[in-house]
Amino acid sequence: MGAVPAGILILTGACTGLVGALLGLGGGVFLVPILTLVLGVPIRAAIAASLISVIATASASATVNLNRGLVNMRLGLVLEVATSVGGLAGGITAAHLTHRQLFITFAATLAVMGTLMAVRSGRRNVIPASSEVDPGLLGGRLREGDTTYVYRLKRLPVALVSSLVAGAISGLLGLGGGIIKVPFLNTFCGIPIRVAAATSTFMIGVTAAASAFIYFSRGDVVLPLTASVCIGALPASLLGAHLSDRVHARYLKILMAIVLLAVAARMAVAV
Amino acid sequence: MSSATSALDRTIEVVLMGGLAVSAVLLVAGLALDREVLLRWGILVLMATPVARVVVVTIGMLRERDWLFAAISVWILSVLGSSIYWAMGR
Repeated sequence: MGAVPAGILILTGACTGLVGALLGLGGGVFLVPILTLVLGVPIRAAIAASLISVIATASASATVNLNRGLVNMRLGLVLEVATSVGGLAGGITAAHLTHRQLFITFAATLAVMGTLMAVRSGRRNVIPASSEVDPGLLGGRLREGDTTYVYRLKRLPVALVSSLVAGAISGLLGLGGGIIKVPFLNTFCGIPIRVAAATSTFMIGVTAAASAFIYFSRGDVVLPLTASVCIGALPASLLGAHLSDRVHARYLKILMAIVLLAVAARMAVAV
Repeated sequence: MSSATSALDRTIEVVLMGGLAVSAVLLVAGLALDREVLLRWGILVLMATPVARVVVVTIGMLRERDWLFAAISVWILSVLGSSIYWAMGR
């Protein structure tokens, strides 16, 4: 992996950071496949680099999303209770899985999420009649143009379980877990996709940090590799987060579904 | 959303941007000067940034006397603390 030039790694970090921030993810879901399949980086080093880069991308996106008032902080905090535990457990478990098992888990996760996203891409979760509707403790309001929408959290247990699974997958595979939480919060829990994605970026840093220290102490973090990827990801994710405002929610979901299924297929072939 | 909450939002933004900026400077300098110690610190600062964010949220919730969410933040902090403790024990 020392053979991969820093320029290529910075560019890779920039591309995955940009797309990740555009979609409201950490970008690890694209970074790990590119590092392993295209650049030949061993999967453990790729996962560790991705975890750290995901912290950079998600934190940069979170600053932009906080500024826009899209982050539902209380919902994020409640779900972080589950994602952080999942992240810690996933980080500890990852050491016991083989290269092949990691690859299969990765491909299967992407395939399931891509299918879910494609099937449910046409739904909306907002109630336009704003003032009379009470959003509840964990719901909120969302302004889109001149209209204010109200949303309520439905099925808190589903949100918590999906966050726990997202955290575990994050710790195991070096993703932030946005790829799991965003579809679940959107399709089953009544959270508009922009709020789901923004709140997810708010949580991802903590989720990834819960396992990043473990990877670091294990010596899986290859310093120049990880640093190069992060240097590319930082400015690109700020740009992506700023641009994400202009992308239509429905196209966002369809784009995400296509990318997920394509990456899943490519990884399955590689196993 | 109360004004105190949006003040908390601003503080979180500052903490996150500060962490990212310090980390970026260390990482760029580390790569440019080929100094591994700078890269190590750059990555450690990056990993510590979300932890600092949780500390800020905990203090913010305590100041708002929102005991439920303060307790939730303390729980998250303790999970992160166990992760660091586990990592340091190796």
